Amino acid sequence: MSAKPTISESSPSGAKKGRVLLELALIAACFLVMAIFVRLYWVVDFCIFCILVLSFDLLYGYMGRLTFGHVLYYGTGGYVASLVLVHLSPNPFLAIAVGVASGTLIAVVLGSILVRLRDAPFALSNLAFNQIGFWLANAGLQDYTEGEDGLSSMAESIGFLDFTSQPVAFGFMLVCMLLVFWLLRTFTLSPYGVMVRSIKENEERVKFLGYSTYFYKWLTFVVCGSLATFAGTLYALYYGFVAPNLLNPFGNIEIIFAVLIGGAGNLFGALAGGVVFKLMSNYLATAISRWELLMGVLLLILVFRFKRGLTGYAIDLRLRISRRRAAEEA
Amino acid sequence: MGKGKRDLLDIDGIEVAYGHAKVLHDVSLRLDEGEMVFIVGRNGAGKTTLLKTICGLLKPTAGRIVYQGQDILGWPAESVARQGIRFVAQEKKVFADLTVKGNIELAAYASGEDVERAVNRLTELYPRFDEFLNRKAGGLSGGQREILLISRALVGDPKLLLVDEPTEGLAAIVIEEIFRILDEMKARKVSAFIVEQNLSVVSQLADRIYIMKEGKIIREIREKNQIAKTDELEGYL
Amino acid sequence: MLATIVYGFTIGAILYFFSIGLSITFGTLQIVNFAHAMVYAVGVYLFITFLPWLGGVYPLAAALAVVAMIPVAYVVERFIIRRLYGESLDYAIIATYAVLLIGTDLIKWIWGTLPQPVRDPVGAYIQVGEVDLPVYRVIVVASAVAVFLGLRVFFKRSIIGKIVVAALEDRDGVRCLGLNVNKYFSIVFLIGSSLAVLGGVLYAPIATSEPYMGFHILLVAFAVVIVGGMGNLTGTFISAFVLGMVIAITARLWSPAADTMVFVVMAIVLIFKRSDTQE
Repeated sequence: MSAKPTISESSPSGAKKGRVLLELALIAACFLVMAIFVRLYWVVDFCIFCILVLSFDLLYGYMGRLTFGHVLYYGTGGYVASLVLVHLSPNPFLAIAVGVASGTLIAVVLGSILVRLRDAPFALSNLAFNQIGFWLANAGLQDYTEGEDGLSSMAESIGFLDFTSQPVAFGFMLVCMLLVFWLLRTFTLSPYGVMVRSIKENEERVKFLGYSTYFYKWLTFVVCGSLATFAGTLYALYYGFVAPNLLNPFGNIEIIFAVLIGGAGNLFGALAGGVVFKLMSNYLATAISRWELLMGVLLLILVFRFKRGLTGYAIDLRLRISRRRAAEEA
Repeated sequence: MGKGKRDLLDIDGIEVAYGHAKVLHDVSLRLDEGEMVFIVGRNGAGKTTLLKTICGLLKPTAGRIVYQGQDILGWPAESVARQGIRFVAQEKKVFADLTVKGNIELAAYASGEDVERAVNRLTELYPRFDEFLNRKAGGLSGGQREILLISRALVGDPKLLLVDEPTEGLAAIVIEEIFRILDEMKARKVSAFIVEQNLSVVSQLADRIYIMKEGKIIREIREKNQIAKTDELEGYL
Repeated sequence: MLATIVYGFTIGAILYFFSIGLSITFGTLQIVNFAHAMVYAVGVYLFITFLPWLGGVYPLAAALAVVAMIPVAYVVERFIIRRLYGESLDYAIIATYAVLLIGTDLIKWIWGTLPQPVRDPVGAYIQVGEVDLPVYRVIVVASAVAVFLGLRVFFKRSIIGKIVVAALEDRDGVRCLGLNVNKYFSIVFLIGSSLAVLGGVLYAPIATSEPYMGFHILLVAFAVVIVGGMGNLTGTFISAFVLGMVIAITARLWSPAADTMVFVVMAIVLIFKRSDTQE
């Protein structure tokens, strides 16, 4: 491996913190600008979806594990939050807390079994549990989830936090998304992040160095599951309605699509991909009737031609420009 | 001397890298028809890499591999093999799930030779193999596997054999058997590059020796009296 | 109860036909092939279309459907699967899933979304005890067993089978004899695809066909292949029938959970199985 500066050698932590804050401000600015040009409720949707995509990218892009069952956590968050609002208390924060706790618990248990597995069995086993969850929402726990009809809920306002007000909801979701972004940014820049990326590159070597890769894989799995659950709770709070389709395993393909568009293993890519995907699907789904056909074709083009997504393209572009500049100066 | 022997294989300036690490540096060798040339060197010198590059399993980043006048650099392994080049790997891996006969069958099918004839050639040399024919190849001992591998490689009368450490890990008695095969091959004028660390075998059979160290060819020995000096060769291992 | 058992074996047989191709492709190419479900579904729809054209002669329409899908499977193999050699698994999953999406949408476009039932071609029943067993289902199960035995002979005796068995273990060794391994893997890919179409065609009279049928069987087939061992032909055979029985028995006891129970079984197997799926 070429000599790369270790984390401790890079910028001192003060400058690092400043940089992250700048990034957050930039992202917030982008979303605010978007909110002006695009329908507000779309941008709220972007925020929630982006949290979901971010949670997936940590597992897939950074650690290199593809799961085909991520929406299990998304749906769990949505349903548990709704059930809390309906049966326990209309307090939105309680709903979020309980929701995230439940999803985390599931991730803890499932993660302990699944994280041992390699590529295909890992992806498909997650899919299997996703399918079980989907069935539970649709039929198995029908008495609680109302099955196909879906579950409606209503969160009370806390102070100025009124989810029925668009601008307030937007502000809240944006803050949540920035929070998640900041959390993941800190994670990936920390020694933990180095560990995760090392596991992706060469797990044997990491094990050889004496680390328990099982623990780090499990931890990452749990973090990703929690964040996806969080996204689900936000969904429930904002829309006030959840349906089994939230857990439809084939919803995973949307997340994968978004990550591919943006570029895997890159938090900005996850955001970019999430936004672009949602924009595309919102505009195109209404404009083109054979939407699934188009999505399939686009996916193929992406996989065979633009694997590294928008951010990969951007990095290449920057390299090319800097090289040209260096050549001109020579 | 008469007419010069024809160049069967002419390797020039080969460079091979694994990622950023260079494994072969500007390697050049030559093999004439009918020659049995040995490649000697310490572990990690790049001998296996060299053989794998010649047979097409690895791709060099620079250089030329000219076989019978044709540059075969970058050709995939199956195309190289179809030109009459056979590679016997170090790991002594046979097609374990097939029978011994099945192993020969594959080789016969691949080279267009008659299966029965190929099998007979094997059992003529090694009558013991007659009882092994229908046994799963995975059950053979190390020495038996090497015999099978070399026999498999010889099916179809290939023009060039690349053998990687044939006597490695084998007991002295078995090594004698392998020596017998190689001696027979030499008598039949089979051209071969053989990587070998057993200097007794090397000194008795070699027409020439190349010595490799850290990815480079450091010496070529051509004189018979030099080849016999096994204690000198020891120094290179 | 007997009817349930026969039904279990029947489902197992269909699962086996479908899962063989998946298992082989994974064993030979290390690729999880979602597009397999597309070949299956399109093949069945072609069969349904051919049936009336051929005067309702079931075996003829079935044969024609299988033959018609071979070029389709070839195109998938040549232009998608082959490009995925050596790529990481994620891309294989995404690319083949994309093919499945495209295929499903094409089905909806050409044939519409309404379910398509097909009549039982035999229509006869045999009496065993107090139960009337459909002869057709017995034929289906017998076919699966025949195919299993046939495949065993194929991989043990035929030269192509032997090449594939050898290449699965020592790919380079086979290449160094001058054989183009990819060509032979392609051949078994086509065999696997044809078997899937055959399975679908056999299933058509038992359950109605609809555009998403590929998706549904695919999920269960993944469970079959994981439980049986990817690339393990005998394992696939056994797990297909075991899981088929699970579906049938669950359907009898608690109908809506039928398909899902398969995943519960898979989860249990995963917890206790510690061999080749592991790190």
